[in-house]
Amino acid sequence: MGRIAKRSLVAAVVAAGLTFTAGAGAQTTCEVRIGALGPMSGPAAQWGLAMLGAAELAAAEANARGGLQVGSQRCSVSVLSYDTRYTAEGAAAGVNNLASQGVRFLIGPVGSPEVTGAKPVATRHRLLMFANSYAKNAIGPQWPLVFHLGPGPSEWAPPIVRLAKEQFGMRSVAIVAPNDQGGTDIASVDAEVYRQHGITATEEYYQRGTTNFAPIVTRLLASRPDVVDTASSPPGDAGLIVRQLRQAGFTGPIGRLGGPGTEEIIRVAGGIDVVRNFYWYEVAPTEDPRVRAISDEYRRLLNREPPENTNLWLWVVGARMTLRAIERAGTATDTNRVAAALRELPVEDPNLGRGAWTGQSFFGINQELSLPFGMGMILDGRMVGVRRIDVSPQ
Amino acid sequence: MHEFLTAGIIGISLGAQYALLALGFTLIFGILGVINFAHGGFYALGGYVAYAAVSQAGLPFPLAVLAAVVATAALGALYERFLIERLVDDHLATMMLTLGLYLVISTGLLAVFGPQSPEFSFPVQGTLRAGTLYLPLENLVVLAVCAAAIGALWLLIYRTDFGRALRALADDRKVATTQGMRPGLLFPLAFGLATGLAGLTGALVTPILALSPSAGDPVLVTSFLTVILGGLGSIAGAVVAAVIVGFVEAYASVYLGGSTGALILFVTVLVILLARPTGLFGREIRGA
Repeated sequence: MGRIAKRSLVAAVVAAGLTFTAGAGAQTTCEVRIGALGPMSGPAAQWGLAMLGAAELAAAEANARGGLQVGSQRCSVSVLSYDTRYTAEGAAAGVNNLASQGVRFLIGPVGSPEVTGAKPVATRHRLLMFANSYAKNAIGPQWPLVFHLGPGPSEWAPPIVRLAKEQFGMRSVAIVAPNDQGGTDIASVDAEVYRQHGITATEEYYQRGTTNFAPIVTRLLASRPDVVDTASSPPGDAGLIVRQLRQAGFTGPIGRLGGPGTEEIIRVAGGIDVVRNFYWYEVAPTEDPRVRAISDEYRRLLNREPPENTNLWLWVVGARMTLRAIERAGTATDTNRVAAALRELPVEDPNLGRGAWTGQSFFGINQELSLPFGMGMILDGRMVGVRRIDVSPQ
Repeated sequence: MHEFLTAGIIGISLGAQYALLALGFTLIFGILGVINFAHGGFYALGGYVAYAAVSQAGLPFPLAVLAAVVATAALGALYERFLIERLVDDHLATMMLTLGLYLVISTGLLAVFGPQSPEFSFPVQGTLRAGTLYLPLENLVVLAVCAAAIGALWLLIYRTDFGRALRALADDRKVATTQGMRPGLLFPLAFGLATGLAGLTGALVTPILALSPSAGDPVLVTSFLTVILGGLGSIAGAVVAAVIVGFVEAYASVYLGGSTGALILFVTVLVILLARPTGLFGREIRGA
């Protein structure tokens, strides 16, 4: 072998080595940052912590598989979080904060005030947002990058009210909720659904931050309702309302067509015997072993106890779908392409099962991720269980 | 009629709780000239100390309440002695010091106990009923303890040498100091007394309502409102104003609803302050 040939061989080996090293480096240094935006403290903290836990679980699952395949790169997934304290201004500040750290995809927020505050800022930064909330304008054609983790009350309230009426035979209901968008938007939809089922419904609103509900309870009971529904009152508030209702002598069933939080409600109310007769919208069929397996997966991958709130099981689907859409779009920066990929993804989750994209009839856009949900019931102080209810595509 | 009487009972309960909170707040301003923005933090801390004493140390509830009072009083006295005392005449600095303390307390509680409300029940259960009227026994106990604490505080301030010394310092610190009063000793004691009252209220009331690290947020607003209405620094004013606030809140919420009720409370206070800008007992405001 000539001298030049030897040099060429050495050069080729070095070049190949450099190329390999550079390629391997590019594959391992790529990072997709997901933002978890929601209440991490205060009465609504349960919802935000469940959402954060779901984002962390979806990221851990992706990382355990060796990361996301984004185009030609293999990317790790990390989660950054921000505590909105369940306020619009907190959510808006959170979007700015997370965007400044390179986040392009948001899991959350949870409540209507937060979603209202976050949407304009997220749109300005062109972030893709997977929000919850029961706001009547949570999503819409003017917000093409905002997706809704559903279904919303227009989907799940009718079957639950029908089943509750069969069980309790009520003729009147008093609905109590906070007086901001997080309360009024859902309580008004709930009231309409109750009325459609021949049940007289009244709405009562309170200032968020109220600590003693005794006056509100007195006012609620003045109309002598058969049922009181705590709608989307945060679990801490709802637990206190239940306790003070029972102290005031109310013996009827208590409903909850709003956010989940039964464990905390029972704890704050003073026990399941105090709650006694209770029905609620549950975000997932919680007695399905495949659904509960999400918590086992959380313990295995994150090596700690999962958040208590059942919202974890719903949010994890939204987080998984977002990551799948990033892989399918082949980009972690162009949120328009990721949104287009997300709209095309079939709604099928290994744990929650098959769902559907809905929202066209209520929101004017088919960007609501609807999955099977549940209706929970406590009868005479005994946990009866959660009944599965499936959704149909639109 | 049933709603009217029920609202009255609720108003008395609320008024007693607000009085206990407002007394501590006004005491600190009246004697030290400091607005204590950490007052709500001491309320929440009192609740958590009592909760930990019951659930983790296994103490009976009365001892847990005592532990809460001692812990919050000690923390308040030490904070005054080593931090506030150095800057006691600088209003902005003391405002920042107390606000900072509130953030430290609420964040510390969040880190230690988590954000969710724990199960913390009042040991006395049951409800007194007379026809459609009702009064939870726990509210009755809290009402009795509040009344006793207010009475004891009044005796302490107006019938003891310690109280006379505090009032002398409140009237004119320079003259009182030349007469032998020692602010370096009395100020921490006064601060500790006030924060102990907040801790007592937290330990008694949070098992009835709900306990969370942010439980002190609305307490500060209510205390401020009550004390301004009564006249900053006035003990009698704080008690009278607390009763007014309790009744207005109860009746307005029962008859006008939760949203309008909150508005009516602020409008009522505004109207009273327009008529008496120094508050109901404004003459007793500490001379600046």
